[in-house]
Amino acid sequence: MYAFDIERPSTIADAVKAMGAEDAQALSGGQTLIPTLKQRLAMPSKLVSLTGIDEMKGICVDDRGRICIGGATTHAEVAAMEGYPALSALAANIGDPAVRNRGTIGGSLANNDPSACYPAAALASNATIITNSREIAADDYFQGMFDTALEEGEIITEVKMPVPEAASYMKFEQPASRFALVGAFVAKFSDGVRVAITGASNEGVFRWAEAEAALSDNFSADALEGLSLSGDNMISDIHGSGAYRAHLAAVMTKRAVAAAG
Amino acid sequence: MAVEYDTGDFVATIDKLEEIADINGFAARRAESEKRGKLRGLGVNCYIEACGIAPSNLVGQLGARAGLYDAATVRVNATGSISVMVGAHSHGQGHETAFPQVVAEMLGIDASQIDIVHGDTSKIPFGMGTYGSRSLAVCGSAMVKATEKIIAKAKKIAAHLMEASEADIELKDGQFTVAGTDKSVAWGDVTLAAYVPHNYPLEEIEPGLEETAFYDPSNFTYPAGAYACEVEVDPETGKVTIESFAAADDFGNIINPMIVDGQVHGGLAQGIGQALLENCVYDENGQLLSGSYMDYAMPRADDVPFYKVDHSCQTPCTHNPLGVKGCGEAGAIGSPPAVINAVIDALQSGGHNVTHLDMPATPSRVWAAMQG
Repeated sequence: MYAFDIERPSTIADAVKAMGAEDAQALSGGQTLIPTLKQRLAMPSKLVSLTGIDEMKGICVDDRGRICIGGATTHAEVAAMEGYPALSALAANIGDPAVRNRGTIGGSLANNDPSACYPAAALASNATIITNSREIAADDYFQGMFDTALEEGEIITEVKMPVPEAASYMKFEQPASRFALVGAFVAKFSDGVRVAITGASNEGVFRWAEAEAALSDNFSADALEGLSLSGDNMISDIHGSGAYRAHLAAVMTKRAVAAAG
Repeated sequence: MAVEYDTGDFVATIDKLEEIADINGFAARRAESEKRGKLRGLGVNCYIEACGIAPSNLVGQLGARAGLYDAATVRVNATGSISVMVGAHSHGQGHETAFPQVVAEMLGIDASQIDIVHGDTSKIPFGMGTYGSRSLAVCGSAMVKATEKIIAKAKKIAAHLMEASEADIELKDGQFTVAGTDKSVAWGDVTLAAYVPHNYPLEEIEPGLEETAFYDPSNFTYPAGAYACEVEVDPETGKVTIESFAAADDFGNIINPMIVDGQVHGGLAQGIGQALLENCVYDENGQLLSGSYMDYAMPRADDVPFYKVDHSCQTPCTHNPLGVKGCGEAGAIGSPPAVINAVIDALQSGGHNVTHLDMPATPSRVWAAMQG
C-alpha cells in the first residue's frame, strides 16, 4: 500500500468538498478498493470515506413506492430489508459475511465491476441513481466495464428501485471468486419485462432485448426457447469461453423466470 | 533389493465399500436425480500406495542422497512426566495426541503426563520429517524403541529398589511389581530414584532416565482402500456436485480413530479440489493467470459432502512394532480417480460419448465435453 490521507466527512457537502482534491478517491466499504491498494494497483492521494455520512445510509419507500437505498448502505442491510425479496436475495449472496457487512450498494455501482451482482439488479429494475448533483437513469448510467456516467468526484448518494410485480436473480458462480460468472436478473413490471445480464459481456452489464420482448408477451421460461446470445463479445478467460458465458446467460435467464413465477 | 507387499486384505475393503456406499441403491438414486433433470454418476477407485518412507538402503540404490530413518528421544523427568523429542514435525497431523497415547499405553501412565517436542532442531534428534505417511510408522517406531529402552532401564532400577531379580519385574498400570509377590513401586518412585540416586545400582547403570532410538524401516508400508464417489452433473451448465463420498481404508492398526478420520477427510477434500477445482494456469508468455484465490479455486466446505469413512479393515503391518501403515495421503491419492470416473459415468448416462476428462473438471470443461 502506498501512503495516503483519509477524510471521514459526516455530510454529503463535506464529502464533495473533500473529493475536490487532486487524485482523491471515494471509499465506500472498500471491498474492492482496499485489496487494490494493498496490491499497489492504485495510488490515490486521499481516501474520502463515505460510510460515516448518516444521510447516505438506510432504506425507505418513497411516495411512488420505490425502494430508496442510501449509497452507503451495506449489502447486509439490503439482505435484511423487506419489500423487494429478489433484491434482498441477491444482496444476501454477495461475497461472504465480512464483505456484506462492509461493502455498500453505492460502492458496487460506482465501481461497476463486470462480474458484480448489483448492476444487474439496478438495470433490470430500471433504477434511478441519485448523485450529489443529479439523477441518472440506469439505462444511461452503465457505460461499459468499470465505466459509468459518474463525473470526477461525483458521489452516489442514493439508489431508487421500482419494485417489480415479479423478479428473480440467478447467479452462476465463478468457482474461485464466487463472483458472477454469469448472472441474470429478470424483473416483470406492468408495462413489460426487463432482463439484465452481468458477468458475461466485455461491455459490462447489459439488457437482453430479445428476451425482454419474448417475456413481455409471455412471462414463462418456454418463451425463451430458441433464443440465444452471441459469444463474440463475451468475456473469455480461464473460467469459461465467450460461447459458454452466452450459453449460461440463456440458462440463467430461464431459471430466473421460472423462479420468479 | 526387492520389496513386497507385506499384507493387505483388498477384497475386504471392497466389500466394506459396497456396504457403506450403498452401491445397490445407486440405480434408484440415479432415477431420482434424472427426475430432477440431473445426470448422476458413480465412480469407484481402488488404490494401494507405498508409504512409511523408507528403507535407507533401498532409497540409496534408487539414487536418494539421504537416509530415511527417523529418531526420537524419550526424556523421563524426575517427577515421572515425559518429554518426547521427535524428528517428525506436527503441523495438523495430531502427533501431540497420537504419540503420547502410544507411550502412555506402554508405561501405563496418563497421556497428559507426556509432552511432544518437535520442530526445534536445537532440541530434537536428527529426523527426516513429516511426509510420505511416515510419522507414526517410522518416527513412532523410533519412539517405541526408545520407550522400550526406558522400560528396560527402569526395571533395573525397580529391581534394585525392591531387592528382586530384574527378570521378575513387571510393569503394569504405572506400577512395577515383583512376580508372585505383593511388592510394588510406583512409576514416580523409580523416576525419582533415577535422578536422586541415593539408593541406586550406580555400579551397574548410569543415573538419569533418557533414551534415544533411531528406526530405519525394513520395507515400505502399504495402505490400501476402495473409494466410491457419486456426483450429479447439471446438463445445462456442466456444474458437478459431489453427492456422496465413501472411503473404506486398510491402514493397519489404528492408534487414534478420530485423527485418522480427520486425515482422511482432509485428504478427500484435497483430492476433490484437484479433481474439480484447483487449476494452475499460465498464458503463452508464462504469466500466471491463476495468481490469487480470486482465480485459483480451493475446495471450501460447501464443495464437499459429509463423508462416509471406514477403517475397520485392519491388517497390521508386519514389519514395524506398531503394525501401522500410515493414513496421511490416502484420501488425496484415492479420491481424484473416483471423482472423475463418476463424472464420466454421469455424462455417459446422459448419452454423451465421453471417455476422458482432464482435471480439474470445471463447469466449462464438462459443458464443452457435452457439446462433443
